[in-house]
Amino acid sequence: MNFEPAAWAADWMLSAAQGIALVVIVTGLAQTAFYIVQLIYAAAALSSRPPVPRGATLWRRYSDQAPPIAVIAPAYNEELTVVESVRSLLALHYPAFEVLLVNDGSKDATLQRVIDEFGLKQVGRFVDDSVEHKPIRGFYANPALPRLLVIDKENGGKADALNAGINAARSSLFCAIDADSILEPDALLRVVRPFIDYPDRTIAVGGTIRIANGCTIDAGRVTTVRLPRNFLALVQIMEYLRAFLMARLALGRMQALTVISGAFGLFSRQRVVEVGGYSHATVGEDMELVVKLHRHMRDNRLPYRIDFIAEPVCWTECPEDVGVLGRQRARWQRGALECFAKHKDMCFNPRYGRIGFVGFGHILLVDVLGPVVEVLGYALVPLLYALKLLAVEWLLAFLAATFTFGIFISALTLILEEVQLRRFPRARELAILAVIAVVENLGYRQLSNVWRIKGWWQFLRREQGWGAMTRKGFGGTPA
Amino acid sequence: MTTLLALWQLSLFLCSVALLALAAILLARVISEGRGSRRENERRRVSGLLLASELDSPRAPRGRIERDAAAKVALEMAELVRGPDREALLANAEALRVPHILLQKSVSRVPQERLLAAEALALFPSGRKRVGEMLRDRNPDVRLGAALALAQNQAAPPAAEIVRRLGLGTRERSLLVASLMRDLVDADPASVEELIFAPGLPDAARLAAADALAASGRIEHAPLVARMAEEAGQDEELLPRIYHALGRIGHPSGHSAILRGLSHPAWTVRAAAAQAAGTNGLVEAAAGLGLLLDDPQWWVRFRAGEALWRLGAAGRAVLTDLARDGSPSAREAAARTIEERATS
Repeated sequence: MNFEPAAWAADWMLSAAQGIALVVIVTGLAQTAFYIVQLIYAAAALSSRPPVPRGATLWRRYSDQAPPIAVIAPAYNEELTVVESVRSLLALHYPAFEVLLVNDGSKDATLQRVIDEFGLKQVGRFVDDSVEHKPIRGFYANPALPRLLVIDKENGGKADALNAGINAARSSLFCAIDADSILEPDALLRVVRPFIDYPDRTIAVGGTIRIANGCTIDAGRVTTVRLPRNFLALVQIMEYLRAFLMARLALGRMQALTVISGAFGLFSRQRVVEVGGYSHATVGEDMELVVKLHRHMRDNRLPYRIDFIAEPVCWTECPEDVGVLGRQRARWQRGALECFAKHKDMCFNPRYGRIGFVGFGHILLVDVLGPVVEVLGYALVPLLYALKLLAVEWLLAFLAATFTFGIFISALTLILEEVQLRRFPRARELAILAVIAVVENLGYRQLSNVWRIKGWWQFLRREQGWGAMTRKGFGGTPA
Repeated sequence: MTTLLALWQLSLFLCSVALLALAAILLARVISEGRGSRRENERRRVSGLLLASELDSPRAPRGRIERDAAAKVALEMAELVRGPDREALLANAEALRVPHILLQKSVSRVPQERLLAAEALALFPSGRKRVGEMLRDRNPDVRLGAALALAQNQAAPPAAEIVRRLGLGTRERSLLVASLMRDLVDADPASVEELIFAPGLPDAARLAAADALAASGRIEHAPLVARMAEEAGQDEELLPRIYHALGRIGHPSGHSAILRGLSHPAWTVRAAAAQAAGTNGLVEAAAGLGLLLDDPQWWVRFRAGEALWRLGAAGRAVLTDLARDGSPSAREAAARTIEERATS
């Protein structure tokens, strides 16, 4: 191609523009290749997984050997939903579990609501002090409900509350969840499978998170799966499908998973204690914990597995408001960057094997470079236009390839969901999601990158804090 | 072909594949929803036939949908009933040729299908030969599932053969092996007893066998488990399991091993030994358990405190003394243990 650059354009401007264009194209190609590999691995993982039997079969098969689990649910200012959440957790189908509700210094009546509802009294408890957290003010239990223990502590954030729960747990495994999420009744029986199949090696397992907006919820259970009417919630459903059914499943299959969602993950308590529990000074404490586990096991040359299971489902409410969603995405971006910066020595370090190359390669491509490169690509358009270097036909061809590839990935993810899991009860819902897979490329995708760049900015400015996260609550009452 | 043209063609290709794929799954879903009523009708029909007191030449399911529905509903219902009801239900399922459907599924190329078929086929005497063959399946989940299904239906081959076929304790380390051993003990305790003395058997398999015998109330193998504790030396993975087994057996022949375990260098072993001392009511361990209240590992302190409380007056006296005069760590552990037990 021959271009006649603008007369005022200096050589360095032309070189810079060409250099940036090259980076954008190479990164885009690398991301594309990585996504295709992920899809293949995700399909292999889904097709070779053990069957997904009914609850009764699961119970018959696993209940004898299922290790005890401590379910740790941190709660902060959840007075409207906490009772329902605890009831839902106590009704889980699992042979041996204990619910540890950690009241993280709530300013509302969260603690009193639970005490009143479940007839709790202050009790003594001999707890570990291996991981750090703010002081515990008291323990509450009711002998008639031996599966429930409430830990009241000073406010210290989610990671701090989880650490308090870890210290109080007396099971070899603990399950970290959000108190306002809903676990399917047999989720623990399903997610524990790697710990039963590979007891000597498994140290952590993640499960699928799904969006409950639009679903019918009755007595802390999702009874009917439906799509929400809100566009942002619909787009997030597609995003979650891609994240869990493609990326995490594939990375789990490759044994290079670097994140287990804070909303639902099962961990070996001992291994987590060995790495010091959850880190305090980060908003990406869930990702950082998994990376610390990898580092610890690799540094000590211990054989291990960190798996992801597609079937166990935890339902969560997603933001339907642009402002709240933007803050959440900026925070996630900041968390990923904090984790990458803290453990950057693992990136492409042969000592960490596939974690260094595949796991950190994924973080680098998708979380660190991804938003920057995509926004640079958009910014390049007016720059090249001003320099008279913009070939419109090339721009359109690249945009078309990028967007159609996005649609292609989404379509294949929907197929994986339909063939293997089939959680959407009606064809109409699949059709709506298929339309969303196309429409999200026009506007939402760009907006999402702006939020992620905002996360970059917050990271560079070393901003802390979670920002306000408004939830409607599953009962529909504003919380 | 220019690069530009290739880019457009790539876009067109990706778009076409995506749209075709989406159209295909939508079409498949619409067809499947249409078949739903056929499936439901067949489930209703087969459920009624399975529960009938007498069947007079019932029509076997014909199409694929009907066969799938029949196999599924038969398995679901068989899981819900026991005893003579189950036998009657399985006889009706035989009359409906359900085992024949399952035999076809047992050679599916999809491991999930084969595993479900193995579990269901083992319910039928006519299907057990095939399930026995599935112990050689290429997929380890199917092999273990077949062994479990046979053992649950008291139709498993001798334990030694299962250990060899499945590579128990070597290739196969699943915790389900313990369930398998327990089911084998129910059906054929002699073959599991032989395992314990079999030369060259992996320790994990031997321990699972001993554990299963212990759980069945057979204490005559306790001396062997105690000997295993001695021979395991410094094996930090195996020893805690041995101590758990000794705790469950509760036989005096294991007491000296438990007392030795209290001072083992590995904390996991000390914690397991402390727990075993508590469940055995081993009063002679009270002093050793008291020392463990000052252990650097919380798990050891916790298990020691728990065990001391379980020992009764002798253990509680040690706790009270240490809560008053122990080292700071032991004082804290003893006081917290007493406080917890008193308030729970």
